[in-house]
Amino acid sequence: MSELAVDTSSGHDSAALDSRHDHAPHDDHGGGHGHYTSLGLSNNKLGMWLFLGSECLLFGGLISTYMLYRGRTAKGPGPNQVYDIPFTSASSFVLLMSSLTMVLAVTAAKRRDDGNTRLWLSVTALLGAMFVGGQVYEFTGFYNEGLGFTTSLFSSSLYTLTGFHGVHVTVGIMMLMALRGILTKNRIVGDKAEVVELIGLYWHFVDIIWIIIFTLVYLIPA
Amino acid sequence: MTSNRRGLWAIPGLALVVTILAGCAKNAPQDTWQPAGPDARKIDDLQRFPFYAAGVVGVLVLAVVIFVVWKYRDRGQAIPHQGHGNPLVEVGTIAFSAILLAAVAVPTVGVIFDLAETDDCKMTVNVTGQQWWWEYSYPQQAGIDSPIVTSGQLVIPTGECVLLRLTSRDVIHSFWIPKLNGKKDAVPGRIQLLRMEAETPGIYAGQCSEFCGLSHANMKMDAVALRPADFATWVAAQTAPAVAVSDQESAAGRGEAVFKGQCVLCHQVNGLVDDEGKPLIAQADINLVSGAAPNLTHFMSRTTFAGSTYSLLTEECRTKLMAALPDEFGALYLGGVESGCLNVVELKEWLRNAPDKKPMYPDTNEDGKRRGMPALGLTENQINDLVEYLKTLK
Amino acid sequence: MAIIERPTGEMLRGPVGVGPRASLGMYRRPVETTGWRSWLFTVDHKQLGLMYGITAFVFFLVGGLEALLIRLQLAQPNGKVLSADAYNQMFTMHATTMVFLFVMPMAAGFANYFVPLQVGARDVAFPRINAFGYWCFLAGGLFLNSSWLLGGAADGGWFMYAPNSSALFSPSHGVDFWALGLQITGIASLTGSINLIVTILNMRAPGMSLMKMPIFTWMILVVQFLLLFAVPVITVALFLLSFQRTFGATFFDVSAGADPLLWQHLFWIFGHPEVYILVLPSFGIVSEVLPVFSRKPLFGYPMVVFSGAAIGFVGWGVWAHHMFASGLGPVSVTVFSLSTMLIAIPTGIKIINWVMTMWGGKLRFTTAMLFAIGLIVEFTIGGLSGVTHSVSPSDTQQTDTYYIVAHFHYVLFGGAIFGIFSGFYYWWPKMFGRLLDEKLGKLNFWLMVIGMNMTFGPMHILGLQGQPRRMYRYTTDRIGEGFFNLKFWNQISSLGALILAVGIIVFIVNVVRTARGPANAPLDPWDARSLEWLTTSPPKVHNFDVIPTVSHLDEFFHLKYAENEATGEMERVATAEELMKIQEDNAEQNIHLPAPSYWPLILALALPVTAYGVIYNKILIAVGATMIVLSIFGWALEPSMADDSDLEPPAPSDGPTKELAPIV
Repeated sequence: MSELAVDTSSGHDSAALDSRHDHAPHDDHGGGHGHYTSLGLSNNKLGMWLFLGSECLLFGGLISTYMLYRGRTAKGPGPNQVYDIPFTSASSFVLLMSSLTMVLAVTAAKRRDDGNTRLWLSVTALLGAMFVGGQVYEFTGFYNEGLGFTTSLFSSSLYTLTGFHGVHVTVGIMMLMALRGILTKNRIVGDKAEVVELIGLYWHFVDIIWIIIFTLVYLIPA
Repeated sequence: MTSNRRGLWAIPGLALVVTILAGCAKNAPQDTWQPAGPDARKIDDLQRFPFYAAGVVGVLVLAVVIFVVWKYRDRGQAIPHQGHGNPLVEVGTIAFSAILLAAVAVPTVGVIFDLAETDDCKMTVNVTGQQWWWEYSYPQQAGIDSPIVTSGQLVIPTGECVLLRLTSRDVIHSFWIPKLNGKKDAVPGRIQLLRMEAETPGIYAGQCSEFCGLSHANMKMDAVALRPADFATWVAAQTAPAVAVSDQESAAGRGEAVFKGQCVLCHQVNGLVDDEGKPLIAQADINLVSGAAPNLTHFMSRTTFAGSTYSLLTEECRTKLMAALPDEFGALYLGGVESGCLNVVELKEWLRNAPDKKPMYPDTNEDGKRRGMPALGLTENQINDLVEYLKTLK
Repeated sequence: MAIIERPTGEMLRGPVGVGPRASLGMYRRPVETTGWRSWLFTVDHKQLGLMYGITAFVFFLVGGLEALLIRLQLAQPNGKVLSADAYNQMFTMHATTMVFLFVMPMAAGFANYFVPLQVGARDVAFPRINAFGYWCFLAGGLFLNSSWLLGGAADGGWFMYAPNSSALFSPSHGVDFWALGLQITGIASLTGSINLIVTILNMRAPGMSLMKMPIFTWMILVVQFLLLFAVPVITVALFLLSFQRTFGATFFDVSAGADPLLWQHLFWIFGHPEVYILVLPSFGIVSEVLPVFSRKPLFGYPMVVFSGAAIGFVGWGVWAHHMFASGLGPVSVTVFSLSTMLIAIPTGIKIINWVMTMWGGKLRFTTAMLFAIGLIVEFTIGGLSGVTHSVSPSDTQQTDTYYIVAHFHYVLFGGAIFGIFSGFYYWWPKMFGRLLDEKLGKLNFWLMVIGMNMTFGPMHILGLQGQPRRMYRYTTDRIGEGFFNLKFWNQISSLGALILAVGIIVFIVNVVRTARGPANAPLDPWDARSLEWLTTSPPKVHNFDVIPTVSHLDEFFHLKYAENEATGEMERVATAEELMKIQEDNAEQNIHLPAPSYWPLILALALPVTAYGVIYNKILIAVGATMIVLSIFGWALEPSMADDSDLEPPAPSDGPTKELAPIV
């Protein structure tokens, strides 16, 4: 709601009104930039922010479920038996680094430097894939230690939470790869830099969620 | 047109007032506005003010709407001033409603904590819900020398607080005797406390009030309040084991054999022994999802059966019991079901095909367990014998 | 994905062949503007609004039929109309249908149609996502109801409390259908909320600051924020439930150590904001209708806005008042008791503001106005009974009884549905160019008022005298004595339900008669106040010939009326026809609208396919997933506007499609 406050207090609308008169009616662009919006933020970006706001509640619900059930290990292994903190720290670091490369991709896109955009998108996807690979490896280890999906409430809620996050990362990787492909073929719809930025927003969000999950799930003792 | 409209507007309003003032059933067994114990009375005292205040505010709003509709109808007047509000009215409204709500809020908080108080309760009863009946187990305590397990009717002494420890064996149920206290959910895996106290002897009706599956509507219960002396008598009777039928050739004896052959798979009768003299222990835990079936040791000391869905008394005897004066009630209830008073028709229907009388899931599931009593496939003779045997379970 | 798109330099110079025909090499983009294809592939907010509305109304009839069966069963003690099992399914689906398939999508329909018009935009922010939302709603609704034919519907109540919802206690697939179906409609709600928020925040006409926004749009904005944050919570709960039933997880299995109250918390954290999601759009509608027919601005507009927002905020802090009997402990109970009382204040403000809007006005009692006044009265009753169970000890006597049923039907029927009907009568001429018959309308109104008070009024008594909800039968031994026993009140209630049904039939008759009649609506039949009336009825495809520049709240009224400085009275300075002419004379050229698309429909269809797969067959999951991936790629590669090559060369006489002609 902070945008609302800004909007009402700054008398933004009259400014927007002027800018509209500058452009309209003959210079009304189709792309994200320069297109008239009341808040001055492109529709796509505002939409992405709202979507991510909603996602916070999704992960909030999953994290709450995990926090409620993490001590309920039944006869299966508990958090202390299965977690390999150094390994997960490393893979978390990899994911964190992917945010950095994502930033590089966005700035390259803004410079209209297609080569570097493609490069950094690829690196980001690669780092993301390393993280997911690490998670698969880690979960295989958990499974071998006797922690199946249905073993206990702890395992069900752990796999559900981290699984949802993993799916988000995977979807992110697919978007990055698709974006790279589309960029190569020059078939992008709309403003290139903005599309890269949107996917960047999503990527950073997924990253931040992981930091929270890592802290709550792995670092804070049950 | 306008007067016509005004008249029509009055209809719903009038209907509502009539509804509220004149419309109540007399002696509804679960009336929430007729408390019969201190806890329910506390709630009743508390809720009178918000109800009346709500009534007054409601009538007030209705009156203002009718007035405005009449006064400001389009009579060709000029287009009104395009004013955007009046801060005084707005702030006034907020202040008025805030004060009214504060007047409701303060006593509410007091009653919430009063009703959560449990230290003054002398007696404890474990109340367990399962699909679709209630079990009451009285642990050993002052006045109760050995544990009692019964179902359907919760028997309590008058004039003292009884603490119910509620839980469930399957889904969530809710224990509610409206005239004695508000409801509290019986949640599996948790134990929740509920105060219960009755002032005068009598039967107080209740009903499971959290949707609990197929036969939720049939999951009834009663609280039966007895004077302390009568209660002691009841306790003594309940702690005795069932008396074995002496004549194996009599109808009751044949019925006992049927019971041992089938019923005992789920239903416990304390004191029942097999041919070798070993106690017969019901195996509800391996035959039922909930793991429990009503204990029938003193079946005829209750006045309901099938999870209080049906009356064990004929209509006539039941009416007599319900109408008994407080002084007479105890003796009448303790007399149990006299043979002439037994509701034989419905009891036999129940034994013939229980799921037909009360919807249940009598078929075994993947784990070989049932949810409810199956049709037993008894012959009419067996049913007659079984009824004779059940009559002996005083 | 922006709406009024003109070819940017980049697009014109850029790579040729970004059109979708080239993108997958196998299809032409749909461009029809008439016929059934124009509906299937439309992205027009007005068409989608109508589709939402019609579909929701059909589900309203389905839910109403379920309600009638319920009342028929309860008309007698020991009713034999429905079996216990059928009854349980019936009330579960009645509530689910009315909440998720009628009131929510009906509000979405109104919002879709009128929010862009009210804020002076030419469409919503994401037209294809809008279409996707509609198809998700339809797919989810049909999927949910298909369970009737596939072994029985869900039978655990719309609140679906655990552990009664687990496979052990509800072995049919009903609950699976319910959980997956609501996931699909949840996607509709989520995408819809993002779409409408962006539309409202970002696409307002120049000069329309937030505090000059029509109140309906404001209420829709609040509702969309509630949806945005409430839907993910129920999504989590539904996932946990589905994982338990399908994959053997034990989230609500007490024997595995689970806490069944987890479900209740998740459900009601969603469920209570949901109540406001249902009722606030109707508050918005009557806040539009009352000023128009009182010829006064809404009294205390800022207060109505802020109280709406306050309800939106406090609505998050009251969920546990649905759980007063579940054993929360006295401290929590106190907190939620007080917060529930608190929320009565902004609600009360609204009622006072509506009454004060009429005060000193010049009232015309059209059917739309009658429904609005009806809402004030009936909702007040529902609100006041709500206050009585904010008193939590009192609520332990009332919760899960018919008193609660009475309360929320006064809120939802007297509030939400009366508002919706007010909207029907008010906006019908705008949507169809035809006025609904006022005589039939008044008959419709009075039948519904009498019917609803007869149906739900007696439920207050039933509940206070101890009849619990959700019972497939009641017995004579608990109905009390005397003529006015609970059987009597149950019969009155059932009779009322029939009258209510007749009222709805009168409405349908009215609609059919109106549809057959001539397009008789004047441009501005009600002397209305907001921008949706500054266009033809029904509106042009592009809504406005010129995007208006706004300087007032109630802009349209102030274009028509001005204060005579001498007398201080409001005088008409322009008619709607004159204003329309100005619009048409200055019409903008080359308005580019988003073009229809196949992908929203295909993507939405993939969801029930996947869901059937989860229940029946894993191969279907793969089919559904493939459809999802392909349609997302198709979507991403498709510009929101049609390419030249997708359009037939316009026929010489083909007037209307010229407006759609894209890149020139």
